[in-house]
Amino acid sequence: MMLRIEDLRKRYSGVEVLKGVDLELRKGETKVIMGPSGAGKSTLLKCINLLVRPDGGRIFIDGEEITSKNDVYRVRQKIGFVFQEFNLFNHLTVMGNVTIGLTKVKGMSKNDAILKAKEVLRAVRIGEELWDRYPAQLSGGQKQRVAIARALAMDPVLMLYDEPTSALDPQLSMEVLSVMRELSKRGMTSLVVTHELSFAIEAASSIAVMYDGRIVEEGRPEEIIRSPKTAEARAIFKGRLNYVLV
Amino acid sequence: MPSVIEYIPFLMEGSLWTLSLVALGLSLGFSLGLPIAIMKFYGARLDAYVWFMRGTPLIVLLSLLYWGVFPALGVKIGPFETSVIALGLRSSAYQSQIFLSALNSVDSGQIIAARSIGMRERQVVAHVLLPQALRISLPSWSNEYAIMLKDSSICFALGVMEILTRARYISVATGSALLPYLLAGILFFSLTHAGTSAIELIYRRVRIKGTLGAG
Amino acid sequence: MFWYDLASSLLVGTMNTLELLLISAPLGAGLGIAIGILGSRKGFLSILARAFSSIFRGFPLLVTLFIVFFGLTDFGIYLSPTASAIISFILCSSAYISEYVRGAILSIDEGQSLAAKAIGMNETQEFLHIILPQAIRRALPSISNEIVYMVQYSSLAFAVGVQEVYSVAKSFNSLYFRPLEIFSILALIYLSMTALVTLAFRKLTERLRIP
Repeated sequence: MMLRIEDLRKRYSGVEVLKGVDLELRKGETKVIMGPSGAGKSTLLKCINLLVRPDGGRIFIDGEEITSKNDVYRVRQKIGFVFQEFNLFNHLTVMGNVTIGLTKVKGMSKNDAILKAKEVLRAVRIGEELWDRYPAQLSGGQKQRVAIARALAMDPVLMLYDEPTSALDPQLSMEVLSVMRELSKRGMTSLVVTHELSFAIEAASSIAVMYDGRIVEEGRPEEIIRSPKTAEARAIFKGRLNYVLV
Repeated sequence: MPSVIEYIPFLMEGSLWTLSLVALGLSLGFSLGLPIAIMKFYGARLDAYVWFMRGTPLIVLLSLLYWGVFPALGVKIGPFETSVIALGLRSSAYQSQIFLSALNSVDSGQIIAARSIGMRERQVVAHVLLPQALRISLPSWSNEYAIMLKDSSICFALGVMEILTRARYISVATGSALLPYLLAGILFFSLTHAGTSAIELIYRRVRIKGTLGAG
Repeated sequence: MFWYDLASSLLVGTMNTLELLLISAPLGAGLGIAIGILGSRKGFLSILARAFSSIFRGFPLLVTLFIVFFGLTDFGIYLSPTASAIISFILCSSAYISEYVRGAILSIDEGQSLAAKAIGMNETQEFLHIILPQAIRRALPSISNEIVYMVQYSSLAFAVGVQEVYSVAKSFNSLYFRPLEIFSILALIYLSMTALVTLAFRKLTERLRIP
């Protein structure tokens, strides 16, 4: 089990955002989390790499309990996080963005870092002509793919995607989703918060429906979409059957 | 040797002179700066004036006016009045910048809308541009107040009986070197904070809710 | 004779002014950046930093100057006019610059910080490699503005007897009594220095600009 979450809880100024979340993810598996806004999906992801400290429950990454650890930095190196707003480092080029984690955090030499960077940039299909560009000079889809490369460069055991295409128009979303799909197919353990049903069907082994701080239903995409058991799941998949029957 | 404490009322009285300099200077700066900003907004090239007033130190401007220009013109303008004029001229240059950027930040769609309902340009300025621009300017203007307050101390050079001049006087009269200036500093500090807080309060009252530029 | 004397006097004065500036500006900026960084963190030092900034922004430069030159004599500290001027300029400019730097640091989007954390950076690495480089660039226009102000308030050093260019011009005027010419040229000298500094900072901003 690559990721196991037990009874995770989080409170923000008196409001309980996570009310006991249980989740499991096997190595190589891709799971999609769906749900209305405010359900706590983003908070859940941020707890996994300890950007947010949970108030209760436990998280295990590759067998190791991380919630009791204080050395968050080492934990975060093993997890890749992709943000909805990309959050590329504005003052660095594409190459700079991807290599900075390698040189400053992992202590790699500049040359080794560049070699590794080239490898991951090719994997996300960012061509050489873009390597010296700055984030402001890139399209949204390019920015997000560079963000994925930045995360991949650290050789994570788990990739977390927080609504990676919500800020992109449909055209640019497709570029990003196809890269994500490829990574999943190559065996990258991934947890993806998204509204993109097509991605879930094509790349995920299961969809988890989250509502009001809890996982209310989980199942294989084909099953849960066709016959959702809970009211919350029905609310999401009802009427989207048309998309599925392609 | 008399003690500094006796002179405190004397020092505090200086605030009246200081605040007068500031109030009159800001008013002069406003009456010149706003029209300049409006003219620049509509394309007038007044860069030279702004450049001169912003690039010349206040003390140089004071000297130039008091010992140079006014005597040459044959007019007798006293130290206080000259100070107000110099402060006002310099402030007008800075205030014109403040107002110009505020005018520029008013959504151009509003200007077009006003014109298309038949408003004359004069009315557009009066009813659409200015009400918003003036509100947007308040925070920067509060900064201008703080700057003016400090610059007013430079007028000691012409002998205006403002706070710093009096502090010097006290220092000489009492032989105390640190305390008079320290007290003067605290006085300036307090006046700055009182003024900027007051402007902040006014700003909160009048600001346009929900807009970034005014919020 | 007049013009020649004027030119040579003003030249000496200008050299002295430039000397004041070349020492005060870098030190003021450096100290200002350091205090600004301190002020953006949490803790006791941060409170001190912000208090420093508040005080020396609240005191007019002349008051600070008089405290340093005259006031310290109460404690037996007798500083030269030039030293007093330099110290005062540094205190004043660093107070303002620290405020700009602090504001710039706090204005950096939280996402940058989150992304830095996500790749495993600790606080120091995050600050040094991600936050600070962006903050300095953001603060640069305000910092350059402050240095331009310094060019002008360098004239106030006359009040403690430094022979900078305003002081020289004033003395010259009391000898030759041609205020219009003398002070107009003086204004032009300051305008030129201002233009030079503005140009230098424009070049610097271009160099550091993030496309």
